[in-house]
Amino acid sequence: MSASQSAVRSRAEAVKVSRTFDWMICFTLFFIILGGYHVHFMLTGGDWDFWTDWKDRRLWVTVLPIVGITFPAAVQAVLWYRWKLPFGAMLAVLGLLFGEWVNRYFNFWGWTYFPVNFVFPSQFVPGAIVLDVILMLSNSMQLTAVLGGLAYGLLFYPGNWPVIAPLHVPVEYNGMVMTLADLQGYHYVRTGTPEYIRMVEKGTLRTFGKDVAPVSAFFSGFVSIIIYFLWHFFGKWFGSTAFTQST
Amino acid sequence: MKLIKDKVAKLSFVALLLTVAAAMFYTPAASAHGEKSQAAFMRMRTIHWYDLNWSKEVVKVNDTMTISGKFLVFSGWPETVDKPESAFLNIGIPGPVFIRAGSWIGGQLVPRSVSLELGETYEFKVLLKARRPGDWHVHTMMNVEGGGPIIGPGKWVTVEGSMSQFTNPITTLTGQTVDLETYNLSNTYFWHAFWYAFGVAWMVYWMKKPMFVPRQIAMDAGKGDTLITATDRKVALAFGAGAIGIVAFTMAQTNSEYPITTPLQAGLLRGMKPLDLPTPTVSVKIDDATYRVPGRSMNMTLTVTNNGDSAIRLGEFNTAGVRFLDANVTEDTTGYPDDLLAPEGLTVSDNSPLAPGQTRTIQVTASDAAWEVYRLADLIYDPDSRFAGLLFFHDENGNKQLVQIDGPLIPTFI
Repeated sequence: MSASQSAVRSRAEAVKVSRTFDWMICFTLFFIILGGYHVHFMLTGGDWDFWTDWKDRRLWVTVLPIVGITFPAAVQAVLWYRWKLPFGAMLAVLGLLFGEWVNRYFNFWGWTYFPVNFVFPSQFVPGAIVLDVILMLSNSMQLTAVLGGLAYGLLFYPGNWPVIAPLHVPVEYNGMVMTLADLQGYHYVRTGTPEYIRMVEKGTLRTFGKDVAPVSAFFSGFVSIIIYFLWHFFGKWFGSTAFTQST
Repeated sequence: MKLIKDKVAKLSFVALLLTVAAAMFYTPAASAHGEKSQAAFMRMRTIHWYDLNWSKEVVKVNDTMTISGKFLVFSGWPETVDKPESAFLNIGIPGPVFIRAGSWIGGQLVPRSVSLELGETYEFKVLLKARRPGDWHVHTMMNVEGGGPIIGPGKWVTVEGSMSQFTNPITTLTGQTVDLETYNLSNTYFWHAFWYAFGVAWMVYWMKKPMFVPRQIAMDAGKGDTLITATDRKVALAFGAGAIGIVAFTMAQTNSEYPITTPLQAGLLRGMKPLDLPTPTVSVKIDDATYRVPGRSMNMTLTVTNNGDSAIRLGEFNTAGVRFLDANVTEDTTGYPDDLLAPEGLTVSDNSPLAPGQTRTIQVTASDAAWEVYRLADLIYDPDSRFAGLLFFHDENGNKQLVQIDGPLIPTFI
C-alpha cells in the first residue's frame, strides 16, 4: 500500500474506523479535561468544595460557579465551533465530578478517614446542561455567555441544596448553636485547617436579611458571564490550528 | 546465547516491575507532625504549655479521653510571628483518628477562633472520642493566624477496637437523632448519581451519532447547520427545561422536608477568661545565658530575689515543652512523655532554700539530649537569637510559682 492510498477499503470500514476514532478522542478528552479542570478547581475553589462547613450561602455560592464556568466555556468553544458538538460544558463538569469523587473517596476517606458525608464535592450538571442547550439552540457565544453564564450561577445553589440542606439543620452543642456541618468541621479534626481560615459568612451583604443566597447567586451569575467570555476565547485560541508557510 | 540473554533481560524487567509494584504497598504510618522542624524560637517564645495531663494512654473506640492543662501566652512574643489575636485551640493528631467532642478555654467552649492576650495564662481542656484504632501521637496545639501551627508536647495514645463500631450520635434542635458519621450519605450518593446519569444521558444522545470525522467534513464543506436536526433541538429543549424543572422541584421539596435550617456559624470569640494567678513573689534577672553546642547544655546566670514569706528552691526549667527537673526538689508524677522529660536535667550551683527577702546569684545548667533531639539547639540559627522559658520555684509548703524568663542567648562552640 502506498502512502497515497486510503487505509480503508469500504464505507463500512471507514465508518468503523471513524467510530473508533470518536471513542478514542472522547476517552482521551475526558481524562485530559478532567486533569486540567480538577487541578484548576482545587487551586481556585479548594476548601469551599472540600468541606461541608465551607459550603455557606455567601462565598461558596459566589465563588464556585465563577471558578467553575472556566473549562466548560473553553471546551464548548472547541467542540461547538469546530464540530457542532453541543456537549462541551457537560463533558467538562462530568470529568470534574468524576475526578473529585475519586479524590474524595480514595484520598479524603480512604487515606485520611474523613467521612464522605463531610467531604463530598459540589456538582454543576444543571448549569452545564443549560449552557450546552443555549449554545446549541442559539449558536451564539454572546447569548450563551449572558443567559447561560447567568443560569450557571443561579442554578448552582438550588442544584446542590437537596444534598446540603440536611447538614444545615441546627444543633445545640454545649450551649452553642451550630449546624450539623459546623459540627462536622469541629469534630473531624483538620490539623492543617484551623477554624480562622474558614471563609464563610464574611462580607458586607447584610441588607437582605436571611435571603442572602439568591443575591449571592445573581452576583455569581454576573461574574460568570464575564468569565465565560474570557475562557471561551482561551478555548478558541487553544483549539485553533495554525499552519506555517513552507519556504 | 541470544535467547538466554533475551530471557534474562525479560525476567529482569519483570522483577523490576514487581519490585516497584511491591514498594507501593509499603506505606508505613507517619507518626510525627513535624514538631521538631518548627523553628525553636517559635516553640520557646510563643505558647508555653504546662501542668499537662493526658487522662488515658489506652482508649477503646467510642470511649473518650481528655487533655487538660494550662498555657501561657508568652509576653515576649516574637515580632516575626503575628500576635494571637485570632487563634484556634486545635489538637495535633494524624487526621480524625479521634473526634474532638469538645474543647474549652477558661471553661468556655471554643469551636471557633479566639482572641488571646499576651502575658495571660489560660486553663484549657480538649475532650477526644476515639475513632480509629492505632498508636497515635496526640499533641496539644494552637494555630495562630499569621503565625501558623504552634505545636505543643505530644504523648502516644493507643486506640483499640474497630473503626466500624464508631458512632457519633447527635440530636438536632428539631428533635431528630442522627449518626453524624453516616448521616446524609445515601442522600448525597443518590443526588450525585442522579445528576451524573442525567449528564451522561445528554452525552450519550450525542455520542451515538457520528462525531469528529464526518462532522469535520461537513463543517469544511460549509454544511455545519445541517448537523443539528429539528429532533436534536426538541431533545435539547427537553433536557434544558427538564434540568431547570427538576432543580426547582427538588429545591421546593427539600425546603418542605427541612423547613428549619440555619446558616453556618462563624465569628471570633473574644473575652476568653484568663487564670487569675497571684503576682509572683520571686523575681529573676538573667545576667547571662549561653548555649554550649558540644555539651548540649544551656547555662544561665540568674539573680533570684525572694520577695515572699516562704523559702524557695528552683525545681524546674520548662521550655518548648521540654522539662528539666532538679531531682532533689521535684519529680514528675503526671506521666509526662519520657522524651520531653529530663528528670535530672537541671543543675543549680546553690539550690539550698532561699529565705524570704534574700537575693542570690546562681548558675543554672539545663542539659539533656532533648536539646538536640527536639532541635532546640537550632535556636542559634534563628533570626532572633533569644531564648525563653518558665522557671518553677517550690516553697516550703509545697506550692509552686512560675516565673517567665526571656533573654539573649550566646552560643559557645568549644
